[in-house]
This record gives sequence, C-alpha cells and structure tokens, in this order.
Amino acid sequence: MKKIEIYDPAMCCSTGVCGPSVDPKLTKISRQLSILESKGIHVERFNLSTETQAFVENELVSGYLQKEAELALPIAIVDGEVKKTKAYPTTEELAEWLEIEERFLTESKPVKSDSRFTILD
Amino acid sequence: MEKQYDPPNIDFPYFLFFTGKGGVGKTSTACATAVSLADRGKRVLLISTDPASNLQDVFGEDFNHEYRHLKAVPRLAVVNIDPEEAAERHRESALAPYRNKLPASVIRSMEEQMAGACTTEIAAFDSFTSFLCDSEVKDKFDHILFDTAPTGHTLRLLQLPKAWSGFIDTNPEGASCLGPLSALAGKKEMYEQAVNTLADGGQTLLALVSRPDETALFEADRSSKELAALDVKNQILIINGLFEITDSEDDTAQAFMDQQQESLTTISDHLKSFTTFQLPFAPLSLTGVGELRSWLAGKHGREAVHTHEVAAEGFEMDDVIGDLSEKGNGLVFTMGKGGVGKTTVAASVALNLVEQGYSVHLTTTDPAEHLSRLFTENHSDLLRVTNIDPKRETEAYRESVLEETSHELNEDELNYLKEDLDSPCTEEIAVFRSFADVVMHSEEDYIVIDTAPTGHTLLLLDSTLSYHREIERSAGHVPESVKNLLPALKDAEKTHILIVTLPEATPVYEAERLESDLKRADLHPKWWIMNQSLSVVPVSDPVLKAKAQVENKWVQRTVTHASKVAIIPWKKQAILNKKQR
Repeated sequence: MKKIEIYDPAMCCSTGVCGPSVDPKLTKISRQLSILESKGIHVERFNLSTETQAFVENELVSGYLQKEAELALPIAIVDGEVKKTKAYPTTEELAEWLEIEERFLTESKPVKSDSRFTILD
Repeated sequence: MEKQYDPPNIDFPYFLFFTGKGGVGKTSTACATAVSLADRGKRVLLISTDPASNLQDVFGEDFNHEYRHLKAVPRLAVVNIDPEEAAERHRESALAPYRNKLPASVIRSMEEQMAGACTTEIAAFDSFTSFLCDSEVKDKFDHILFDTAPTGHTLRLLQLPKAWSGFIDTNPEGASCLGPLSALAGKKEMYEQAVNTLADGGQTLLALVSRPDETALFEADRSSKELAALDVKNQILIINGLFEITDSEDDTAQAFMDQQQESLTTISDHLKSFTTFQLPFAPLSLTGVGELRSWLAGKHGREAVHTHEVAAEGFEMDDVIGDLSEKGNGLVFTMGKGGVGKTTVAASVALNLVEQGYSVHLTTTDPAEHLSRLFTENHSDLLRVTNIDPKRETEAYRESVLEETSHELNEDELNYLKEDLDSPCTEEIAVFRSFADVVMHSEEDYIVIDTAPTGHTLLLLDSTLSYHREIERSAGHVPESVKNLLPALKDAEKTHILIVTLPEATPVYEAERLESDLKRADLHPKWWIMNQSLSVVPVSDPVLKAKAQVENKWVQRTVTHASKVAIIPWKKQAILNKKQR
C-alpha cells in the first residue's frame, strides 16, 4: 500500500478558511487527500502549529526546516521519499506518484449524506 | 414590582452566572452575592473569566487561576482567569519543547498562528469548563459563582461548548477548525457535560445584571434570548443602581432619576417574565467586604463626601472636533466598552464634522445597532450612516467565497469547503472584510467608525494584524481593501482613535487595558473622552454630589495619564420609543 505524507505550514485549519482569504489549492488538496484515503492509500497530514512533534521526528522534514526554515513547507513525501517542497502537489503529480487514475481525483461523488449544506447548493 | 436583592433568601442552584454589559456592576453583584452566601455559612467559589476583571480592586487582594481563600472571608475562595494569560500559557506549553529543535523563524510562524483569537477563546473556555466539570472542586463548595465576561464575549464563551461538541460530532474526519483545539479534542465528554450543566435549571441560574439604563437593558434582553436559545432558561434579572432623589430642588438629580425611570419603561416583555430584583445606587466605588455587605443592606453612600478637591480640568468636545477637522479628512474610531456611550460620541463627532461642512460616513459593527435611531431627525446630504450586521455579512461572505472558488473546485471539494465555512472563525473574517470594504469605498472626507465592545474590537484588530502578516505568503485572493487597511490604521496622520469611557472605576480600568492592548498593536489613541460626567455639572443632591466627587478622581487619574482628555457633561439622553427597535 502506498503512503503519502503532507507536512503543512502553520495554519489554523486545513482548508485555509481561517486565513485572510480562501486559497483554493488548500481546499483542493484536502479533498483529494480524502479521496486517496477512500481508495486505500495511507494518508497522513501534519500541521506545523498543532503537530509539531511530527516535523521534528521526521529526519527528512527536519532537515528541510533547518536548511530552508518554514519556507520549505508544504512538503509532500511518498513512501519515505520527498517528492515536492514549497507547494502542494498537483492532481497529475498525485496520480503519478500514487499510481492512481487522475479521474478518481477529479470526479464528483457525494462525500457525506449530511444535509446541512444543501441550502447553499 | 422588583424585590430587594437579598441572596440568602433566594433559592440559588449550585452554579450561578452573572452576565451583563461592562460597567453594570456585574463584579460588584457577584462579589456581594458571594460574600453574602459565605456569611450565611455557605462555602463559595467565585470565578472570574472577565478579561477586564477588577476582582483585585474589589477585594484588595490579588488572585490568579488557582483558587485561594479570602483572608477576610475564609469560606469564600476566588479564582481569576485572564483569557489572555491562559492563552499565553497554552501557547508557551505548545512551543517550549521545540524552541531548541526548530529554527527561530519556524517557531515565529507557529506563534503567529497561535496568536489568533481562537487560541484565546479556547484557552479561556478550557479553564472555564474545567470548573464546571471538576467533581473534586464541587465537593468542596456549596455554590460556584461565575463573574463572566462582558456580554459579547460571554456569549461566545457560553455558545462554544454547544458549537464545538456539535462540531466534533459532525466532523468524524477530524479536519478543519479544530486546529488549535486539537490538544483538547480528547475532552469531548467534558464539553458535553458543560453544555448539559448550563442548560439544567436545577443546577444553573443565569443572573442578568443591568443598570436602569436603556442600552444595558437592551443588551440584557439580547443576551437573555441568545442564552435561552441555547437552553439556558433559568434566569433572573437584577437592576443595579436605582437612584432615589433626596434633594427635590436639584434639577440634575431630578433628570437623573427621570432618566432611570424612563429607561425602566423599556424593559422588554421577555425580561419581565423573569423574577426581578433591585440593588440601590452606590455612588462610592465598592471596595472591601464591609462595603459590599452594607450595599446589600441598602446602607451605602447615603452621606456625601466632604472634601474640597480641585475639579480636574480637561478639554471639551469642541477641542476634539477642532483637532480632528484640522486636516480635512481621516478615519475616526470611537473605541470602548459597551455602555460607555461611544455610539453617542461617534454620532456627535459625525454631526459636528458635518456642521463644519465636511462629508461624513458613520458606520458601526456594534451588534446592538444603536446608530440608526440617533439620526432619525438629523438629516443631511453630507452624512451617510451604515451598519455592519455580522450575521448578514457572514452569509454574504460565505456566498462570495463559494462563488469565487466554485470554478476551480468540483462538487466534492465545494462541499468540503462549505463545511469549513460553517466554523466560528468565518464571522470574524466576514466582519473584518466588510469593515475594510466600508473604509475603501467611502468617498466622504471623514469615516467615523463606532466599533463594537472592547473584546470584539480587539479580536477584530488582532485579526487585522495576523491577516497582514499572512498576506505576503497567502496564495488566495486578498481584497485590496484588506491590504490597504492596516497601514492606514497605524498612520496617525490618517487615523484618529478616540477612547471613550465613563468616569467610574471599571470603565476607566477597562479603557486603560484597552489602550495598552492597542499600543501593543502599534495603534496609538489620540483622545480620551470622559463621557457623561457629573463632575462638570452643578449638583446639590448629596448622593449625586458624592458621585460627582468620586468621578472627579477618575477624571483626574485620566488627565494625569493622557495628555488629551475631553470631558462631556452628564446630560439626560433621549429614550427610544420601543416600537423603533
């Protein structure tokens, strides 16, 4: 089973809603990671401000932080190999690294039956 | 008809919460209640979560986040939780282990994130909840009293348990705004217990404290309804500070009493449904256990203070207007706690600038929407009055975000985003953005902004700062208005901050704390406005005379502290027809 780890910069929430504006890249990666997980990929995601220990324990990540400080983030690691730093992976990259068809990452399907948000649709 | 407030004769449950606008006497009432119950043999714990707490002023002893028994009343223990301090402890404990392991700039980027309003709220909430749920503490006391934060803050604090335990339920993936809360996520059961305790009338009573003052009563009504909607339905109303005239020749005293009586007619039907108690007017500030006791017994401040102090000298509003109008344009903020009359001061500044021929845009984020009514008769083409309604702005922001991002996201991604937009942070961002928008789109010479009560204001400013720091590396679309606002706020040439307060203990302390918070954010208030001061009005009534003399001390203190202090004489305020609400 493939494993992907994402080390995020310090942030309040994973979609970036709590920032000054919503960064669509954050929303996209959050959703795509959640799809990958449903496809059986092992996904781990760490936020610098709340899961600091993970950044210190991972030698690769720690090394990047020592060299390039927080500017190295976000960092994407697949099966123990650093694939990308300073930016989130694109749909194509995720598909290639994890050997999954791109369409799985872009197709639409209901995530939850929760009806709380239907008024906004 | 109101009954005299006499705690031992009231059947109080285990938990008692005091809530109300700043300066209504919440702390005094909570302290007097605590002393009174302790005097009757009850073991009482008094907890303050008010960021502007003045427990130390009342008891003359210092307290911190661990409870300590009073020297003068051994059965009474006091805890003082300062949300800012609690947040600082929370931050420090999170960062300390990594200070030597990560580069300094990485630590700084973490600090920035944790400096947000969320962390403060969470830290305060956490200390608060622990007292609601700690069975060990419960065994040691017969009553636990919470002298809670000013209204807006209180509501957030009390609403959070419900919002968050709901949030944890609906977020099995554990994503989202629980970020800074993740360390506490294991406490879900405790949150639920806290929510249930608050809603259990057998365990919890909410005392709404108000002055016989229209805005305070309006605020009490609002908090009461909001809390009732959260199932906190066991409530009483305490009207604090009823004045009875002793010198019928004194026109000011007559007007003072009339003002109170007229204000009392505005009590809503909703509030009337609760048992109502009254407390007498105490012109002298209540300090010490003895004074608290005699106040409850109705014996406080009946005699005038005979001193021959020199009246403190300050500027007048005309001087303030003259100063502001020198440049011909600018941003004017009136800041201060709720109930100090900053809306009236903002309106007066706006009207005066209009009279000088300048065009003025007056706007407010005050949820109580006090502005519109002040201008029903003062109509001028030069004056524009707008109101920022947090609820409406949040809805609009939510929709605009969805629209902005919808072309880049598929349906699932949008759903994911909608989920996060449901978080408590969204409102703050929305309000901030609309506020920036008002500033940007105003073409008037002056923009006068009547900001919300202090807690709220600080959150707003805090957000401004952290947004600004983040803007440089954020990839999202940041509106020009937001980018432009912060430098403008710090520019003393463009921005004039007026701190509005009343010449009384709590309001002055609160204003001083506000000022130091603003200074930390590199914002420097220009003027202090001492509103509604009896010290510059001729009075003969002994009780009001005592009040005027006490007020003079607070004016004096402020004049010594700040160079530009304007004093506004006490004046009877028009009462709004109830139907206009």
